[in-house]
Amino acid sequence: MDLRIKALKKHYESKSVLDINQLHISKGTFLGIIGPNGAGKSTLVKILSNVEDATSGEILYNGGGFSNELSKDMTLVFQKPYLLRTTVYNNIAYPLQLRKLDQAEIDNRVISMMKTMEIMELKDQKAWTLSGGEAQKVALARALIFRPSLLILDEFTANIDPSSMVLLENTIKQFHEGYRPTIIMVTHNIQQAKRLCSHVAFMINGKIVEYGEMNEVIFNSQNTDTQKFISGEILI
Amino acid sequence: MREILTGIINAMRLLFSLDKEVYEVIILSLYVSLTSTLLSGLVAVPCGIIIGTKQFPFKKPLVRFIYTMMSLPPVIVGLIVYLFISRRGPLGHLGLIFTPTAMIIAQFLLVTPIITGILYNGAKEKGEEIKRVAKTLGANPSQTLILLIKELRFSIFTGLVSGFGRAISEVGAVMIVGGNIKGHTRVMTTTIAMLRNMGEYENAIAIGIVLLLISFVVNSFLYHLQQDS
Repeated sequence: MDLRIKALKKHYESKSVLDINQLHISKGTFLGIIGPNGAGKSTLVKILSNVEDATSGEILYNGGGFSNELSKDMTLVFQKPYLLRTTVYNNIAYPLQLRKLDQAEIDNRVISMMKTMEIMELKDQKAWTLSGGEAQKVALARALIFRPSLLILDEFTANIDPSSMVLLENTIKQFHEGYRPTIIMVTHNIQQAKRLCSHVAFMINGKIVEYGEMNEVIFNSQNTDTQKFISGEILI
Repeated sequence: MREILTGIINAMRLLFSLDKEVYEVIILSLYVSLTSTLLSGLVAVPCGIIIGTKQFPFKKPLVRFIYTMMSLPPVIVGLIVYLFISRRGPLGHLGLIFTPTAMIIAQFLLVTPIITGILYNGAKEKGEEIKRVAKTLGANPSQTLILLIKELRFSIFTGLVSGFGRAISEVGAVMIVGGNIKGHTRVMTTTIAMLRNMGEYENAIAIGIVLLLISFVVNSFLYHLQQDS
């Protein structure tokens, strides 16, 4: 999905938390959004995924506005996912049921996804009995199962162990290589952004202060705040 | 103590006596209370979910009003319904006074705020999160509503159980609008009140125990449904 942001602003009462003049994320881009706490990263992705409204500005999805059809082709994975009060299988199958796929297709896709995510043994387990890492795997599986054209990840590996993180990163990498969706990933972890992203946007105080290809921004940054963040002088 | 023991023995006798009058009272109690609870549920569940998940003007006063209505005295509800449906009342021409329908209306007014209040609390706590998940997975408004109902089923069951408990144990309102007419509007609670007035304590206790047993069976059934889901 191709995204264009124009003069996007968000205010909470009188406080400005987001102020992006212009940003173009072309189809198939894997964008990492990096920046310190309070930079406006999560607000931006919530607005992009239509979970929150902007105060002003415009977002064009494939050249047009947001629509119900578009909402079926995009998703957002939160840092702390909410799983439905049912089994792991039903959680992952839910987006496919919404799209009215036939049961055989649902079974095939869900089982295949559970194998990829190494959670087959959790198939019939109730979602509220899962650990944080397991819940995040289920949330990601639920997001990838319907193959969205726009996948937004908000610090999705912040609370999970390193081995699970590797698995989730590999799954996302394979998904990106296989279906070429646009992926926007909020992260504090520069190494993770380096491993996964083709592009990176650096945010501070609600503004994008640097945007470009990964290597260009990381190794040849023109912005002092970005340089400080990369060198660890700005604490996350 | 002797009266209580005799009451327990009589309760068993009553239950297995196959006495037509006793069964009529039990069946009418269940009919009135279950009908009023289900009708209240149909109104209160969507209302509670909407109030809990939407922002609108005068929401806070509305919630305070609902909380106040949750502890509404039954006799006041009975009196208001009576004034409306009595022969001289604005709805007197409908001929509802001293009928099971009048009792259902009174219990509906008592139970609806209880279920609404419980659903409001459940929806306030989880509703936003559920709506957000539905939205990010591509659910349309009706699919979102179905998901909200599914995810809030524990609150719904709690509301229905509490509402039924209020309805089946209520005496003041049904006495006023039903009139405790034998074979027509006599229910278990009005029977107990009548027996007490007549000094027949043992029988009053017996009917009270039957009331508790039936309430236990219905609540066990609802609890079973809740666990299964």
